[in-house]
Amino acid sequence: MPKYGMTIDLERCMGCRACVEACKVENNTGQNMYWMYVFRIERGKYPDSFWFFMPRPCMHCDNAPCVKVCPVGARHKREDGLVLTDYERCIGCRYCEVACPYSVNYFNWKKPASNQYYTWKEENIYGSGKVALVTAGAVPPYRNPDHDKLYGISKKRLVSGGGHSKGVMEKCTFCVHRLEKGLLPACVANCPVKVFTFGDLSDPKSEVSRVAADRSAFRLLENAGTEPRVFYLHASEPDPLARLGLTEIRRTIR
Amino acid sequence: MSTKTQPVSAWQPRAGAGFYVSAVILLVVLALGLYAYSRQLAEGEIVTGMRSIGTMGGATWGLYISFVVYFIGISFAGITIAALIRLLNLKTLAPLARAAELLTVISLILGALSIVIDLGQPLRGLKNLWLYARPASPFFYTFSLVIAGYLFASLVYLYLAGRADAAALATRGRGPVWLYRLWAAGYEGTAEERERHSRTLWWLALAIIPLLVLAHSTLGVVFGLQVGRPGWFSALQAPAFVILAGVSGIGMLVVIAAILRSVLRLQDRISLDQFKWLSNFLGFLLIAYLYLWGAEISTTAWVSRAEENELLRALISGEYAALFWVTVALLVIPFVILLLQFLTKRYSIPWIVTAGVMVNIAGMTKRYLLVVPSQTYGTLLPYAAGSYSPSWVEYLIILGLFALGILLYMLFVKVFPIVPIHETE
Ligand code: SF4
Ligand code: SF4
Repeated sequence: MPKYGMTIDLERCMGCRACVEACKVENNTGQNMYWMYVFRIERGKYPDSFWFFMPRPCMHCDNAPCVKVCPVGARHKREDGLVLTDYERCIGCRYCEVACPYSVNYFNWKKPASNQYYTWKEENIYGSGKVALVTAGAVPPYRNPDHDKLYGISKKRLVSGGGHSKGVMEKCTFCVHRLEKGLLPACVANCPVKVFTFGDLSDPKSEVSRVAADRSAFRLLENAGTEPRVFYLHASEPDPLARLGLTEIRRTIR
Repeated sequence: MSTKTQPVSAWQPRAGAGFYVSAVILLVVLALGLYAYSRQLAEGEIVTGMRSIGTMGGATWGLYISFVVYFIGISFAGITIAALIRLLNLKTLAPLARAAELLTVISLILGALSIVIDLGQPLRGLKNLWLYARPASPFFYTFSLVIAGYLFASLVYLYLAGRADAAALATRGRGPVWLYRLWAAGYEGTAEERERHSRTLWWLALAIIPLLVLAHSTLGVVFGLQVGRPGWFSALQAPAFVILAGVSGIGMLVVIAAILRSVLRLQDRISLDQFKWLSNFLGFLLIAYLYLWGAEISTTAWVSRAEENELLRALISGEYAALFWVTVALLVIPFVILLLQFLTKRYSIPWIVTAGVMVNIAGMTKRYLLVVPSQTYGTLLPYAAGSYSPSWVEYLIILGLFALGILLYMLFVKVFPIVPIHETE
């Protein structure tokens, strides 16, 4: 049984957000939901300042606070290291979300169908069939059929992809549906500058293990004791208060 | 063995115009709450002001969870009063015993309802919370200990303590006799029966005390264990929850006692004696709470972990400052009132009731200040600070819950003597 893990090289990331886009398309997540998100972090004061970008998936913590607090065992840790949500069991208490120190959980506040980026119904005003022409016959909004399958050793859990039903919690799955097919997670596969490595952290000879052994490797919020499975390289941990300037910006653009 | 007995005929189910007018108003509010909930069921919790923490810049727990804590906190009153009467033999408080027990039962029901209302998948919740219950989650204890155990024990207590009265009312043959018969369940009031009852109630009171402390503590632990939330992660959370529960619970009991006293003209049964006692008890709990809160804040301010400090700044001088200082005032002023009464030995019911109302408002705002800012200002990665303001749906649902609670209370008072006829020893 592999134990999956990821490394993220902050020196390479140029902030193109291909990973964010790949994740959204692959997992059909709704508006405002960023299972993969990229921070832009600024240090110093102009002109003595520099930026770097920090992608943030779910850390798939080994000692995951979200798993510990789930009252019904919907959020669970798998033997291969993945932390997943059983969408058929989740009752929508959102305890996992307040427990997660990294704020990576997204709740389905709306019916997923009405939370898409585009109201496809309106498009049909211009004549039915026109949309199908553009999308090569697929009926939008497109749904990845892999997400309706069940996963896990006993193939019993509905855990992959987003947009299943309102009132349940979602977050990054490390693309469980792709892993079980032998593919890499969508973000890893789509990064143009190979920021990520992904693989079996329990195998010391794997690429991900070798990269994670780098001297500069660190994990986010190490002293929260969560034992994340995502390692960052070539930068240092951002200060939570780096947000202070952002707060005002958010207020004005919202 | 009963000390003060009143002739049974003295108790009348009262229902004047006031009863019906208030019942109609409450039903209207309840209906509005139900309507709001139907919107939430149909459209999802998008109709609330809550949003995900982090990039969405929201608070994922809001008014509902604040009021789960508030309602369950109120339940402190009943059991404590019952225990004080039984275990410490505090006969003075006996006329308030049933009023307090009823308060406990109703507030626990409201607390349970608020939890279900907060769930994204309420029906699934009602099933899965039992089917897949995980004792490792602090939430499990909120359900099993608080709602199931504590509510059940309080109901049993209320039931047993009311049997003698029910039996007496059944013989009188007026009002809902079937209810009295059912409640009395063959109780005859022989010396042996009374003795057995008072022994059972004594043990029950003793057993409920640890349950009470544990129940309120586990609710604190729901927050206190979250290492990723500044402002929550603290060992003081559990004891502070117990004490603040006491403050708002006793405060609410004072208010209810005063209302019962004037509406039902019970001046002879509920007298200044009870208020004096409750006033001193409330004052004691208040200063204990202020002490715990002060200890908490000074630790945070002194240690200066960046994220804790920013949260504190948001509280005392930032976005939440107005609410914060109002809360402080609503806790300090009542304490001063109660202290002055204690020192001068001159007690006044209106002042005690004022204090009760104030601590209850503080009970709500303090819970809000606990639940919300730690999410909007408590992220550990550099997300922009979030914001949350409850929507009309949330307000209406909470008002509806209050209306439901008051209605239940009124109905009980209408069919059953709220001040025990037999103060069973
Ligand atoms: S990052 Fe958050 S959601 Fe992911 S495993 Fe850790 S605690 Fe759970
Ligand atoms: S929201 Fe769902 S997955 Fe998260 S703790 Fe609640 S039941 Fe578990």
